[in-house]
Amino acid sequence: MRAPSKLKISLAVTAAASLIAVTGCSANQPSESSASGGSDKLEITSWWTSGSEADALNVLIDGVKAAKPGLSVDNAAVSGGGGANARQALAARLQAGSPPDSWQVHPAGQLKSYVDGGQVADLTELWTQNNWASQMPKDVAAAQQVNGKYYTVPIGVHRGNVLWTNPAVLAKANVKIDPAAGVDGLIASLKQVQASGATPVCLGDKDIFASAELLESVIMSRTGADNWKKLFTNEYSFDAPEVKQALADYKTILSLANKDHSAITWDEAAKKMANGACAVNLMGDWAYGELVNGGKNPGKDFTWVTFPGKEDIFDYVGDGFSIPANNIPHADAANAWLKTLMDPKIQTEFAAKKGSIPALKSADISGLSEYQKEAAKSFASAEVVSSLAHAQAAGAEFAQTYADAVSTFNGSGNIDAFIASMTQAQKTQL
Amino acid sequence: MTTSTAQPTPVDPDPRSRKQVPHNVRTSRKAAWIFAPSLLVSFLFVYVFIGITAYISLSNWKIGTSPNMSLRQPLGATYGELVQEQRFQADIRNVVVFTVIFLLLAILGGLVAALFIHHVAAGKGLFRTVFLLPYALSFIVTGVAWRWIFAPSTGVNEILRNMGIQNPPGWTTDPTILGALNDPSGTDFLKVQLGIPVALLPIIFAAAWQLVGFAMAMYLAGLASIPEEHLEAANVDGANIWQRLRYIVLPQLWPSTITCFVLLLHVALKIFDLVVAMSGSGPGFVTDVPGIYIYNYLTSRYDKASAMAIILLLLTLVVIVPYLVRGYRKERKA
Repeated sequence: MRAPSKLKISLAVTAAASLIAVTGCSANQPSESSASGGSDKLEITSWWTSGSEADALNVLIDGVKAAKPGLSVDNAAVSGGGGANARQALAARLQAGSPPDSWQVHPAGQLKSYVDGGQVADLTELWTQNNWASQMPKDVAAAQQVNGKYYTVPIGVHRGNVLWTNPAVLAKANVKIDPAAGVDGLIASLKQVQASGATPVCLGDKDIFASAELLESVIMSRTGADNWKKLFTNEYSFDAPEVKQALADYKTILSLANKDHSAITWDEAAKKMANGACAVNLMGDWAYGELVNGGKNPGKDFTWVTFPGKEDIFDYVGDGFSIPANNIPHADAANAWLKTLMDPKIQTEFAAKKGSIPALKSADISGLSEYQKEAAKSFASAEVVSSLAHAQAAGAEFAQTYADAVSTFNGSGNIDAFIASMTQAQKTQL
Repeated sequence: MTTSTAQPTPVDPDPRSRKQVPHNVRTSRKAAWIFAPSLLVSFLFVYVFIGITAYISLSNWKIGTSPNMSLRQPLGATYGELVQEQRFQADIRNVVVFTVIFLLLAILGGLVAALFIHHVAAGKGLFRTVFLLPYALSFIVTGVAWRWIFAPSTGVNEILRNMGIQNPPGWTTDPTILGALNDPSGTDFLKVQLGIPVALLPIIFAAAWQLVGFAMAMYLAGLASIPEEHLEAANVDGANIWQRLRYIVLPQLWPSTITCFVLLLHVALKIFDLVVAMSGSGPGFVTDVPGIYIYNYLTSRYDKASAMAIILLLLTLVVIVPYLVRGYRKERKA
C-alpha cells in the first residue's frame, strides 16, 4: 500500500510539473512559428476608441486590408487617460514578451523610452528605401528619430495649443479673442466674458493631461518656442520669471473655469463649450473631430484661434506607429501596415476623420476642413515644439513628474512648490 | 525527565496503541506530501514575489519595460525620494482617513442593519437581499453610478438647487481639507495639509454603502449564534432592551466585529477601482490613493511603484500581524 501511494503522488507531481513546463513552452510557440510562416493576421494597439478616433483607425485598417487581401486585423485599442491605460496594457505585454504587431506611440520623448528599453525595431532601412524623410517637414522627420535612427512612422500631426471658442457666448459679451494680444489680452477678454455673466473657461481635467496641456500652452506663450525647448535640455530653468508669470496666469485662468473641472473629461468639456456653457476651451485639435462627430457645425457652433502668445507656436502632438524589435508575431503584415500608414492617400483619408493634418507633404489637403487647412498652413510657418503633457518633449518620468506637479498646483495654487519640484526634476531626470 | 517517560512503556500492554503511533506519523507524512505543492506554489507566488518587489524597490529599474536590477546607491534612495513627495504624503493621509471613516461607517451600519433584520420579523429575507445586493456589484459599476450622482453640475446637486440651495457642495471636486492641522509652505518636508479631505467623503460613503451588506451578513451569523437562554434570563432579571444589547448581545458579537474589521481593512487599503471610476486623483491629489500612485508610475518609474507597493504591504501588516498573533495564541491555548 505504502509504496504505490508514494509512487502515485510522485507521479502526479511529475505530471503536474511537466504540464506546467509544456504549457509554459507552448505559450511562446505561436509567436515563433507564425513569424516565419502565415501572415494572415495583424494585431495593433492604440488608444483610439472615441467616435472620431475609431472611425479614423478604421480607415487605416481598411487600407491595410486592401493592400493585403485576406488579412484579418485585430484592433486591441484601450480607452482612457489620454493613452495612459493603453500604454499600461502594452507595457504588461512587452514585459511578458508577447507584443502586438504594432502599437501607437508619440514621437520623440515617448519613443525614446521604448528605444532605451530595446522594445522597438529600427526602421531606418524602410525610411531610406521609401525616401520618406524628404516628403515631410524637417521637424517632423527629426521627431521620429532617436540617436539618428528612425523607430516609428508618423500618421498624423495634431496641434495641442488650440483655443476653441463659442462665437455666441463671445458675441454676447462683446469680446473678440485676438491671438496677437498675448496672454494678458486673453485674460482681459475672459474677465470681460465673466462680467457678462457667463463662465469664461470650460476645462475637463479628470484626466490631468487637459490641465497639463493648458498650463504648457501658457508657459510656451510666455517663454517663446526656443526657451520652451531649452527647458528639456536644462539650458533654461523652470525658475525663470516668465514661467512664474505663466503659473500666475494659469492660476487666474483656472479661477475663471467651471468649478467642477476635476469631475469631467476633456471631451465633456469641449462639448460644454460648444453647447454654450462657456466661452473657450483649450484642447488639442482632436477636439475638432470629436465636436464634428457630435453634430456641431464648425465656424457656427464653435470657432478656433491659436492660443495667444508672443509668437505663432505649433504645439506638436504626433501620432505614429512602431513595431516590436523582438518576438514580432506577423512580420510581413506589420511591414504592410507601416507602408499603408505612409500612403499619402490613406493619410488624407485618416486626417479627414481624425481632425489632424497629414505628416506627408505629398498628401492632398484640399478636401480637408477649413480648420485643417489653416493648421497645415501654420504648421509650415510656425515654430514647432513638442508637447510635454503628451510625454513628447521629454521622457516618461519627467512627464509624470510634470503631471503630478500640475495636479498638486490645481489643489494648492502654490507657485514655489511647483517650481521647486520641476527644477529638481530638471536636475535629476533629464 | 527520562525516568518519567521511560516508566509508562512497560505498563502499556495493548499492542494496538503501539501501532497507532507510527500510523499517525504516516498520515502526517502523507499530509506533508499533499500540502507540499500548494505550500510551494504559495511560497513562490506570494513570498518570493514580495521579495522580488522589495528588491526592485531598491534597484535602478526605471522604465517599466526595460529591467535594470542593479542596486541604486545610496541604498533605499527611492524611499527617501518617495516620502518627500507631496503626492505620496497626500496618499498616506488619504488612505488613513479613508480606512478609519470607512471602517466606522461600514461596521456600525452593518451592525444596525443586522440588529434591525434579526429583531424585526417582517420581510427578513427581502431586507437581507436589499442590503447584500450592492456587495455583489463591481466597484467600477457602482463607481460610475456614484460619479453621476455626485457630479457637481448635475446629479444630487440638481435636487439641492431645486430645493433652493444656491451653492451646493462640489463633492469630489472640493479641494478643502476639514480640520486642517497645518498650513504647509509647499517647500518644507511636510507638503500636505493634514486633516480630512472633503472630496474623499463621497467616496468613503459609496464604499461603505457597498460593504454594509457584507458586515451585516457577518453580524447576522453572530446574532444567530447567541443562545436564546441568555436573552431570556436577562429578560427575567428585568434588563431593558439597551441593557440586553450592551451586556449580552454586543460582547458576544465581538468576534464578528474583529473578523469584519480585518476583512474590510483589506478593502480600504487596497481601494483603487472605486476611486478611479468616481473621481481620479482629484485637484491636489485630494482623492488619490496608493493604488493609483502605483498604477501611474508603473511605466515611468518601476522602482518607485514597487516602493509604494511595499509601503502598502507594510501598512497592511501593521494591522494584520497583531490579529494573526492573537489568533495563533488562542489556537495554542485551545
